[in-house]
Amino acid sequence: MNTEHKIKAAFGSVEAGERLKNATRSFLQEARQKEEKRLRQGVRRRAAALAACAAMLVLAVGMGGYTMLLVPVSYVSIDVNPSIELELNRIDRVLSVKAYNEDGERVLEGLSVGGRHYTEAIDLLVESSGMQPYLEGDAALTFTVASESRRRENALLDGVRSCSGCMSHGGMSVGTDMAMVGEAHGCGLSLGKYAAYKALQQYDSSLTPEDCHDMTMSELHGLLREHGHEGSGGHGGDGHWGGHGSGWRQGDGAGNGASGADGTGSGSGGGTAEADGTSNGGSGSGGGAPGADGTGNGGSGSGGGASGADGTGSGGSGSGGNGWGGSGHGSGHGSGHGHGR
Amino acid sequence: MRSELEINRAVEQYSDMVRRICLCHLKNAADTEDVFQTVFLKYLLYDGTFESREHEKAWFVRVAINACKDQLRSLFRHSALCLEDLAEEAAAVPPEQHEVLEAVLSLPLKYKDVIYLHYYEGYSAAEIGNLLHKRENTVYSLLSRGRGMLREKLGGDLG
Repeated sequence: MNTEHKIKAAFGSVEAGERLKNATRSFLQEARQKEEKRLRQGVRRRAAALAACAAMLVLAVGMGGYTMLLVPVSYVSIDVNPSIELELNRIDRVLSVKAYNEDGERVLEGLSVGGRHYTEAIDLLVESSGMQPYLEGDAALTFTVASESRRRENALLDGVRSCSGCMSHGGMSVGTDMAMVGEAHGCGLSLGKYAAYKALQQYDSSLTPEDCHDMTMSELHGLLREHGHEGSGGHGGDGHWGGHGSGWRQGDGAGNGASGADGTGSGSGGGTAEADGTSNGGSGSGGGAPGADGTGNGGSGSGGGASGADGTGSGGSGSGGNGWGGSGHGSGHGSGHGHGR
Repeated sequence: MRSELEINRAVEQYSDMVRRICLCHLKNAADTEDVFQTVFLKYLLYDGTFESREHEKAWFVRVAINACKDQLRSLFRHSALCLEDLAEEAAAVPPEQHEVLEAVLSLPLKYKDVIYLHYYEGYSAAEIGNLLHKRENTVYSLLSRGRGMLREKLGGDLG
């Protein structure tokens, strides 16, 4: 036997035993299962991660979009007798419109303002044929604005004032507190009526929101005038409605009739714009100067109150001053009447 | 990953060869088992394709030799000799082959691979050079020197 054959035979006598092969096979089977599991898990994990990422993205975009577009951040209430309130989102588009009384519902019928810019919506509402009957005569078209920030509120007020609907009907616009929105809705009143109600409540605590619900804005204003002697306070144009500031601004002209010795002069209080809703300043004190012949001339009204503007009324005319914030222009004419003996 | 069918075929086909390569390099059964697992696991996970059976076989030779070398390098390799396994193996080898096998295995490592691949697997010197990354002439001289050493050990037995 030659070398080649001998060596070949020698190596050939060595074989892998069945035990070794079987051990290897079972090891491989285990390894295969592990690997398959790993692959499956890998795929599943990757899929899960992908799904999670996608979900996060959708969530983020959704939340962003939601806060951007679907969360109301400001309210504009339009009150004549129909009470209508617009909910605006962050980009001043109308999210929803709601009527707070039957007249309002009637006006809204057939009108669609959702998604429009609020100025557009106001024009549409005020110019609508349903609104026209309410705007005749001494109707008091009032816009009341509330927003989460002062800046936004001012911008909205400017926007409202420049609306053709507001300009053509001599509407007045008021800024108010965001906190009022919730209270107003709790009473079932629109923002504008609720603000008027709040103001009236100072004089007549028996007044309920239900009462106001049934009154038109001009009636409410009439009441306010009655209580506040608005004739002598500054009320003209948007005089006693301050341009901004929180709280209800009003001319609080309290005419004090100073009784002269020989006559009663009724002075006219100077209208004062009360800038700070909490302070009850702004009491115009008009000293009636007793005229000799009984004709009392109104003294000069001076605006009191911490932040009160100064109103000077002379000769029975008090002019409501400017609110301290500057944008409340109150110019009112009060007339003092003196009766001689 | 390769199919179970493929794996079983490969185990059937290459186990003996891997076992012999292990014999040249390793001294105990536990290491051999480790190398078997390493080699066939590599095959299980190997994604490449083989051009031919020859190509596949050469791949196994290469992987097996490397696995043996890694096994020897490994710090965790089983250092204990399993007497039982050795006995089993000794019993499996017929006495007339025993002497030759003993002689071959007593050669230095670099001769063993070459002699096994040439005399048993029938690879030419050029092919062995390719497999082991050696020059053909080196393989020739390893073969002739190995043959000389074997002749010396076995006396006139090698014809």
